[in-house]
Amino acid sequence: MERNQRGGIIGVIITVIILILLVIFTNTNSKNISIIDNIANIIIVPIENGLTYLKNKLNNNDNFFENVNKLKAENEELKQKNSELEQTLREFEITKNENEQLKQQLNLAEKYAGYTTIPGTIISRDISNYSKTLIINVGSDNGIQENMTVIADEGLVGHVVSVTNKTAKIQTIVDSASATSCLTNTTRDSVICKGTIENVSTLRATNIATKANIIQGDSIETSGMGGIYIKGIHVGTIKKVVGGTNKTDSYALIDTAVDFEKLETVLVITNQ
Amino acid sequence: MKKIIINISLIIIFTIIYLLQVCFFTNFTIAGVMPNILIILMLYIGLYMGRSMGIIYGIIFGIFVDIWIGKSMGLTSICLAVVGIVGGIFDKNFSKDSRITVILMGIICTILYEILLYILQYIFLEINLEIVSFIKILSIEVVYNTLLVIILYPLMKLTGYEIENEIKGDKILTRYF
Repeated sequence: MERNQRGGIIGVIITVIILILLVIFTNTNSKNISIIDNIANIIIVPIENGLTYLKNKLNNNDNFFENVNKLKAENEELKQKNSELEQTLREFEITKNENEQLKQQLNLAEKYAGYTTIPGTIISRDISNYSKTLIINVGSDNGIQENMTVIADEGLVGHVVSVTNKTAKIQTIVDSASATSCLTNTTRDSVICKGTIENVSTLRATNIATKANIIQGDSIETSGMGGIYIKGIHVGTIKKVVGGTNKTDSYALIDTAVDFEKLETVLVITNQ
Repeated sequence: MKKIIINISLIIIFTIIYLLQVCFFTNFTIAGVMPNILIILMLYIGLYMGRSMGIIYGIIFGIFVDIWIGKSMGLTSICLAVVGIVGGIFDKNFSKDSRITVILMGIICTILYEILLYILQYIFLEINLEIVSFIKILSIEVVYNTLLVIILYPLMKLTGYEIENEIKGDKILTRYF
């Protein structure tokens, strides 16, 4: 019985470790980590150190170790200085983050000076893997109403679907149930941009006319049709044009201008 | 009195789970995919409190989720209620003493919930049908939920029988006959 219990606890601990490792490995940029490099370093660095030490001995360069006490004192002093610097750095980081957030809000307000906007901060995100709705901390008390356009510094975010006194629910353009009427910037071709469940920063442009000329790298903006979004708000750029079996079912993949994973602050346009 | 405490505790647990989902698991993902602990909670309620409680709690919790973050009222309610019903059916037909059985129940409930929700969203919200992406996300979510069931199973077992004895009372059949 006791053995079973112990086995159970060990099982739970192992599962927790596996879970944490999975989360870390799947969310870390693989370019930044080279496991082979690390393993190679573990093997090579001690050998290199040993060889350098031997070389120094042979060349009588080992007088470095003579004043050990002096070095220890110096080391302590440096440690003290280092901790002071770390403290200053932490304070600096906090100030820097605060500064960046305020700058972002200021930039947003300046960029869309033609519109009356209300800034809001995202307080909650959707719990489902298949939909991308957001909750912001401004509501009807601040003048927010349903169907108002929501933007960020880089471009379109979505629109308000419901409002309470203090909060507003936003359906983002990357939500799988969202469809936005857009135009290509150079050729002025009309497309419908729909959210996908595969990628949080990719839209699928469908309903492309057979005579349309969709160019890779062209930017996409809202067309103003449909009555929700204002005309001319930047949505993203065309990443890839995918041809179907015939011309009618071809579609384009669009990289959204807004990074929805890092999005923190938005602006709600109130004078549409 | 004990029943009231159990019900209040479940509402508190639901609130904590919801907050964990929106604040913690949105960042603690496996390849960008979040788990869904609400499914595990509903399975737990269905297993230890019965089918009817599973339906009631599924609908209530689902309505709250739909009000707070959902796009359409009732979709999450239906899916969570179905998980509650399935939990009740599992309780009648399988033993809860085996960890493997409960893990399999968790897997089945996760698959059932997500497929049902996706179909309902496809019908009512007219979302795009992306089968390959859906299967990919579902597979990762199943793995994530399974790991969480393994971690939470001792706690489920410890509290579950206490709740079962209190809720079902003399209606409960002996587990070892």
